[in-house]
Amino acid sequence: MKTEHVRAGKRLGRRRVLALLGGIGAAGLAYPVLPKDRRPRELSLREADFYRPHDLAG
Amino acid sequence: MSAVACELCPRRCVIPEGGAGDCRIRVNLGGKLRATTYGRPSAIHIDPMEKKPLFHFHPGTSVFSIATAGCNLHCLNCQNWQLSQRGGEEMEQIYRADPPEVVKAAKEQGCKSLAYTYSDPVVFYEYVYDTSAIARRESLNNTYHTAGYINPKPLRRLCGLLDASNTDLKAFDDGFYRRVTGATLRPVLDTLVTLREEGVWLEVTNLVIPTLNDDLAMIRRMASWMCDELGPDTPLHLSRFQPQYRMRNLPPTPVEALDRARREALDAGLHYVYIGNVPGHEANSTYCPSDGTILIRRVGFMVVENKLTADGRCPTCNQKIPGVWK
Repeated sequence: MKTEHVRAGKRLGRRRVLALLGGIGAAGLAYPVLPKDRRPRELSLREADFYRPHDLAG
Repeated sequence: MSAVACELCPRRCVIPEGGAGDCRIRVNLGGKLRATTYGRPSAIHIDPMEKKPLFHFHPGTSVFSIATAGCNLHCLNCQNWQLSQRGGEEMEQIYRADPPEVVKAAKEQGCKSLAYTYSDPVVFYEYVYDTSAIARRESLNNTYHTAGYINPKPLRRLCGLLDASNTDLKAFDDGFYRRVTGATLRPVLDTLVTLREEGVWLEVTNLVIPTLNDDLAMIRRMASWMCDELGPDTPLHLSRFQPQYRMRNLPPTPVEALDRARREALDAGLHYVYIGNVPGHEANSTYCPSDGTILIRRVGFMVVENKLTADGRCPTCNQKIPGVWK
């Protein structure tokens, strides 16, 4: 009797799944640290230019 | 977890622990109410007093002006929305400026007055209060530029330290306040009366927006109310609207509409009605209500001529002109 070989469908290997989960975890941990540059820049009064033109009303 | 109630403004926000009030900057930290922008202004400029606008208070002088982020109104036409409609942590930059440093810097720059302005100083009340107290001891004037949406008790407490205020009266219509600003009219009227009762020099600004609050009958009602409750000598600034923020669908106010509104307010009995945001308009200047003599000639924010006598009188007819002139 002739045996028919059927190739299994492509599946992610265990290592690849673990790598993917690891990547997601690392990104999650890094997220709170990354937006530091979006915090306000703190300046002292000495650094202020009081006479700089501005368009604020009032 | 304990919530706190903020009693500062008529919103009376009940703030859960870790949360913020409607103004974004008054927060509940560990069950205590804190203003996150105390000592952390985001705007500091030296402006002419006329820019505030205060036309009857030390004309032609410079005023050290500060503001933090946040506001308790959310006007669709806000002119300073980049500052007022954000929390402190959303600003690009903030200054480290505790009250003594602010007063020291103002004195070093030769300013005789401080202004709490641009956003609404109601929301950074504690910072205003502490800075004003030091400024008063150092013989500087405190001026307060506000929409007036504050509760009577904290306002009266602050009034003892204030010298002048320009307060917005955005419309004489509660529906307008609710639709356009998210606030209500009654507390603003109460604030105006309180400022007058407490002896703070008071000027009023009304931004005239086409189709929304430019009805002449409403302008007349507003001016009549001002005459009755604040006195006919209270200056009124009718200011020109420019489309911005969330109200870009309306055109700038026609100058003719401002002229008509001014005429209506004068007819209702007010003595000093100015037109703002129209540089070079003759109604930028101050005239004697008795004989029409031009007393202070202004071009934009600049005083180009001041004919008032040393004791604040018309040089022609000797009429006393109300204000704080020196």
